[in-house]
Amino acid sequence: MELSQLIQNLLNGLAIGSVYAIFALGYTLVFSILGIINFAHGAVFTLGAYFTYTLVVGQFENNGLLKGVNLFPQGSPLSGNPWAFALATLIGAVIAGFVAVLVERLAFRPMRARGADPLLALVSSLGVALVVVNLIQLLVGAEIYNFPSDAYGEVRPALSFQIGDRVVIVRTVQIIIFAVSLAMLAVLGYVIGRTKVGKALRAVAESPGTASLLGISVDRFILITFFLSGFLGGLAGTLVGTAFGVAGPYFGVTYGLKGLAVIVLGGLGSIPGAVVGGLVIGLAEAFVPANYSAYKDAVAFALLFVILLVRPQGLLGRVQIQKV
Amino acid sequence: MKRLAFTVTFALLAAAQAQKVQTPVPIGVAVAQTSNTALLGQEQVIGARFAEKFLNARGGINGTPIKLVFQDAAGDENSAINAFQNLITKENVVGIVGPTLSQQAFAADPIAERAKVPVLGPSNTAKGIPQIGEFVARVSAPVAVVAPNAIKQALKLDPKIKKVAVLYAQNDAFSTSETGTFQETAKAQGLNVATVQKFQTTDTDFTTQVTAVLNADVDLVIVSGLAADGGNLVKQLRQLGYKGLIIGGNGLNTSNIFSVCQRYCDGIIIAQAYSPAQPSAANQVFVKEYRAQYKKDPPQFAAQAYAGVQVMVEALKALDRKKKLAQWDLGELRAALNKQILAGKYNTPLGELRFEKDGEIIQKDFYVAQIKMKDARTGSFVFLK
Repeated sequence: MELSQLIQNLLNGLAIGSVYAIFALGYTLVFSILGIINFAHGAVFTLGAYFTYTLVVGQFENNGLLKGVNLFPQGSPLSGNPWAFALATLIGAVIAGFVAVLVERLAFRPMRARGADPLLALVSSLGVALVVVNLIQLLVGAEIYNFPSDAYGEVRPALSFQIGDRVVIVRTVQIIIFAVSLAMLAVLGYVIGRTKVGKALRAVAESPGTASLLGISVDRFILITFFLSGFLGGLAGTLVGTAFGVAGPYFGVTYGLKGLAVIVLGGLGSIPGAVVGGLVIGLAEAFVPANYSAYKDAVAFALLFVILLVRPQGLLGRVQIQKV
Repeated sequence: MKRLAFTVTFALLAAAQAQKVQTPVPIGVAVAQTSNTALLGQEQVIGARFAEKFLNARGGINGTPIKLVFQDAAGDENSAINAFQNLITKENVVGIVGPTLSQQAFAADPIAERAKVPVLGPSNTAKGIPQIGEFVARVSAPVAVVAPNAIKQALKLDPKIKKVAVLYAQNDAFSTSETGTFQETAKAQGLNVATVQKFQTTDTDFTTQVTAVLNADVDLVIVSGLAADGGNLVKQLRQLGYKGLIIGGNGLNTSNIFSVCQRYCDGIIIAQAYSPAQPSAANQVFVKEYRAQYKKDPPQFAAQAYAGVQVMVEALKALDRKKKLAQWDLGELRAALNKQILAGKYNTPLGELRFEKDGEIIQKDFYVAQIKMKDARTGSFVFLK
């Protein structure tokens, strides 16, 4: 493989890998606190993209109950320059965060109150996910919706670098995704590692009973966790939407499966693990020869399988020590 | 005992009644109203509804109105099969226009074939569709006839084209069929197919394929996919710096692609089996009505669905003249309708249509258009001479 091709694949892999990483961060947050997988995360990711689309474009043309609705006949004030779009993205992510809180109330809390098996919570979150996806389809149809190509303002669509006699090109939107993912990771790392809220979250993750005795409101911190997770999911949804379009109500489902692979690969409950796992899977996909690119998913899961054989706890996971 | 006998007799009578042709005469339309394929299917719904309104206003079938029965065939094979089964057994339609995708036709048409119900494919352009069975025909010209025109037109626009990249959705029967035609035509025109890339209709990230295309340093890119994936692929090709000509296959032949690739759609060349400029009277009425309602020219998918319904109605008219439709048994009428469809000659918005014995369409006129975007969301197909 030529150097330029290697660098090109590396950039492609980092770009898509950072999407997986930011998606998986939300997954892993909930897992680290409650020890369960929230299957509704993919649906929240999808909703984040749709919320932002509604704020930025607000036109639903094809089918669904909102057919023909046009919220901004003169063009949305939240489109056309990077700051306005960033604001719309943030609002979309915040609403997605509140949806995640609602999911916790509907699908997880009743189960926890009854001391139900974690598997039941997983199934009930899957039910919520299906309801959400079908609601989206009912409202706006199953069409692909796109953000305006100048949503970020008039930025160049791609940047190119000369490597020898070859040109390596990367889409600007992918650089933005990569940068935002890293920034989110840094913020999350700071919040969890350095703030009172983070300490309380870690205490709840370690032992909810003890945290409760120390005066920490466990339920409140679980809600905060879900809000953060939904916020990250919604943000990821918008970022992916700007890169590839909002490809219908089911577009979070694929990422949901991939995200699952990412957190298992990185190590369940490990925040840096989610990032590393995302990047590893993204890179593995990027290095699949173009002629076989339709088999990218198979390669990603095969890699997961191989790595788990060698390191059952995942790349950055901790081995569970059981006292006997 | 008496009551049982009465019930059985009544049930038999009811069954016999159910096998008579209903009025208004039900014609099934099974196209994609949901899923990504709805981008094409909703245009077909519009076209079929136009035909229903227009033909009924002109007296329907010699005074008997028609009624279109719509079933959502979505974008997958199972939904198409369900839609066909419902139309045949529950709705008792005389014939079916549908499904949207060739892939679905290979799965659902045999259902109609077994039930002896005539099917007209409104947009199934893959190889082998009419050969599915004796009850299957299509009003959509096969890709092998339409696609080569686009390459010839691209060579007219840029005679210096030497190297070509071909991309296609490998999980879609129509796209794999179409790409074969494109590749054969390219080679026949003396072009070098430098790279062939595959993708899935569900893909959103095409960075790998686009990178390979850019490294192959080609002068022309040919895309066979559907509107959502194909449009996204074009967008990413342009964003990553590809500047040459792009040919889109039939799946990209819809104004719905405009919102997918937006200003990057500009310049895509597409061979078409329909032009709003087609001078036939049927087309001029259709175009006028469509423009009045939607403020744009009708797309090919709408015109083909219109033609599908029109062919059914005209064949039914011919049969009604021989024997009033209300006197036919449903099964008998379905078989006669199938024969009549293949025997007739029709002046539709697509121009003059006839059929081969196996149900293959014989169409006179083809066109090549180029997309011109007015702004980020609106554009049009400009016809190239």
